[in-house]
Parts: sequence; structure tokens; C-alpha cells
Amino acid sequence: MAKIIHYRDKCIGCGVCFEMQPEIWRMSKKDGKATLLRGIEKKSIHILPLHLSIETLTIEVAKACPVKIIKIV
Amino acid sequence: MKEREIELLSPAGSFESMQAAINAGANAIYFGVEQLNMRTRSSNSFEINDLKEISGICKKNNIKCYITLNTVMYEHDMQLLLSILQEVKKQAIDAVIAADFAVIQYCKQLQIPLHVSTQANVSNIEAVQFFAQFSDVIVLARELTLKQVEHISKEIKRRNIRGVSGDLIKIELFVHGALCMAISGKCYLSLHTQNAAANRGACIQNCRRSYTVKDTETNEELVVENEYIMSPKDLSTVDILDQLIYSGVDVLKIEGRSKGADYVHEVTACYREAIDAVFANNYTEEKKTNWLERLSKVYNRGFWEGYYLGRKLGEWTNIPGSNATERKIYLGKSTNYYSKIKVGEFLIEAGNIKEGDELMVIGPAIGMAKETMNTLIVNGEKAELAAKGDKITFPFPTKLTGHDKLYKIVKP
Repeated sequence: MAKIIHYRDKCIGCGVCFEMQPEIWRMSKKDGKATLLRGIEKKSIHILPLHLSIETLTIEVAKACPVKIIKIV
Repeated sequence: MKEREIELLSPAGSFESMQAAINAGANAIYFGVEQLNMRTRSSNSFEINDLKEISGICKKNNIKCYITLNTVMYEHDMQLLLSILQEVKKQAIDAVIAADFAVIQYCKQLQIPLHVSTQANVSNIEAVQFFAQFSDVIVLARELTLKQVEHISKEIKRRNIRGVSGDLIKIELFVHGALCMAISGKCYLSLHTQNAAANRGACIQNCRRSYTVKDTETNEELVVENEYIMSPKDLSTVDILDQLIYSGVDVLKIEGRSKGADYVHEVTACYREAIDAVFANNYTEEKKTNWLERLSKVYNRGFWEGYYLGRKLGEWTNIPGSNATERKIYLGKSTNYYSKIKVGEFLIEAGNIKEGDELMVIGPAIGMAKETMNTLIVNGEKAELAAKGDKITFPFPTKLTGHDKLYKIVKP
């Protein structure tokens, strides 16, 4: 299954991912960065299996991220 | 001219640039942390944990340090903003530079000195009067002419407009560095084309590219004299600095938090000398030519004097990148320092060196230093050429820390 990878350290907190896809993104009140809901963290990189039903939208979100820190592999 | 206190404020996007600014004679530095500053994309910002060290270094060197928190702020940024401001207070950072009212309000509540950013586009005395309730320094809009600046500074004295500290409100102007076509940096080009919010520090600089104008009906391309129709040349005022100082400005600011230590050093040094020359009454044409030559060596898109003399924006660059007359090429890193004999050792990782080469060392503790390779010693023996894998040694006055990089200076 494809995965969403979020390089959270580099997030600038613009909020576009949350605006487009609130199902899996939240803006952290603690540090102002986006958080990938239910993502598993490894060395500050967050990973979540990509369900087919949200694939198209997630690709759009990855494209929209201004600092290109959302990858789909 | 009668001596009065002028503050030279230099950019510090890294510890290397900060040290370079200190060495070259800055009176103050400004820097950004985390994602709440306008250079989030282009430079590796400092982190909250660095504030203590930054404050310590600046206090030790008797210069002031200001933190920029000048992006657009969203609801979800408030906690981070507050955490940063609490640390700013704790570490006694001298002031915050901001334009968003949330930051202005928090600074007032926490009693942190505030400088109003150029992003606030302050262009008249009434706006100065308004912001004086919250701040001590106001960075004026960079689109003003010197006549307008002079009027504002005279009015401040006439109306006796005082800032939070009780002193007369100070005004600050940009003297050198990148300009963009947007008014006070409020630009939406990146956002429209790449969804990259410039006002969150993510500007992708699409104004710096070349463009054509096409008639979509006939598909015919119109002839445009210069394809870089949205990219102004850089601001440089080193040859009109006396006029800037006469206009009553208190703080002279250099742009460039995403530029390297070599840039910060050279630009700061030129403006330091120019300010001192104005007050020493020896601000000569010869010196101006020399400063402009030196400023041309580091990153630049060509120079013009901005809007200060009343010119309209018409000075466009004709290149996508830098016009610098010198480039630096990475050679290697420091590996050892022999303190007793003051000799540095470097491992060459790329390129090569021969005798007579001009070298540059950049490091967090030394800022930027230039050396000429007089006698080349490779792996302990005299040699003609050093290449990748070689260890070279040469006399170097300042202690190396192991985080220093060696470059060769070349003419492009």
C-alpha cells in the first residue's frame, strides 16, 4: 500500500493541507505546524498508509504544499 | 557633520553571519526563528533553543539583537508565538520586529520592546504617532523618498512623539540589499502560481525569472526590452549615505538573512566605513567608488539607489541570479588548529589549491576571514598543488572550531 510521508520539521504552518483535507491533517496548537493524524513518527518523519479512497485528494494536497514536504511513495 | 548615534543593523541568518556582522562593525543584528519569519524557506532559521546563545554572544560583544516575527500570523500560531516571546523575554533579546497586531499586542502585554516592521508600510507621521504607543523604532516603508523621510523625522521632534521607552521614536531605513516589486513586501505572486505564501516566508521568487508577453489571439510575442520585467536591481545607498543620515534616520538596516557570512561581512564593513566617514567629514568620491567595487564582489543583481531620490521603479536587473564579480568555491573543512603556533589544518574535499590563491574561511566563531595562500603545505610538506583528500596547513590568526569551511575566491 502506498504511504504518505510528512517531513514535519520543515513545515511552515501555512495550513493548506488542513484546509484541503481536514480528515487527516490538523494544525498543532502547540507549535503551529501541521500534524498527520494517526501517523507513525520515526525521527520526526511521520508516516501513514494511504487509503485508496483518499489517494486523489492527497496527491493534490502534496502538490499544494508550498514547501513540498508531503510525499506519496 | 556633528556626531550623532546611528545604528548599523545587519542580518544574521546563521551563527557564521552573526559573527561576520560583529567583526565587520555592526551595532546590532536581526534574526528569525522557527517558521514565523520571512525567510523560512530560504535560510535555515534558528530555533527557540538558540536564543540563549544568540543573546549571550551579542551581549558579550556589546551589540543589540532583534528577533523578527514578521509573518502573517494564523490562529494556530498563537501558542508557538507566545512560547517564542516568553523565551525572548527570558533571554533578554533587545526587541521584536513585527507587523502583525497579535505580536504587537503580546509584546505590549509582556513588556517586550517592539520595532514596527517595514511590512506595516508606515508612510506618514500619523501612522508613526499610532505605532509609537506600542514601539520604540519604526522601519519606514521602503518606497518613501528622502524628502518624505525628512518630513517624518522633523515632525517626530516637533510633535515630541515618544515611544514606549519614553525616548523619541526612532526611524529605521533599509540601506542595502534585495528589493522586490511588491509594496513593502506584500506579494501574492508565489501564492498564485505555486501556493507558496510569501507572507509566511515561503516566497519562491518567481519575480526574478524572465517573462514574455504574448497576444493570445494571434500567438504573437510582444517585444519587451528586458525580459526580467518584475525583478528590480538591488538597493545600494553607500554613495548617498550622507543624504540618508541628514534626513534624520536613526537606524540603517542591511537586508539579507538568507545571504552568506562573506556577504554580511563585506556589506557591513562598507557601510560601517561609510557612516564613520560621513561623521569624520571625509566621505569622498574615491571612497564611494571603492565601496561600490567591494559591494559588487558579493551577491548582487546590479545596484540602484531605490526610491529615496524620487526615482520611479525602472531599474530592472538583466540576469536571473547574481552579478557578483567574485564567487566562492567550496574546498573543504577545518580538521585541526594548532593554538601555540596559530596554524590551521583543513581537509580538501573538492577542487584544488595552489600558491597565490585567494582563500576564504567561514565559521560560526570566526564569521568570515580572507587569506592568501603564500606557502602551500600539503600533508606536512611543501607542494605546488593540493587536491581532494589532502590535508593542508597554513597560518591562521583565529582559533578554528571544526565547523569551519574553506573556500577559494574566483572571478567568474
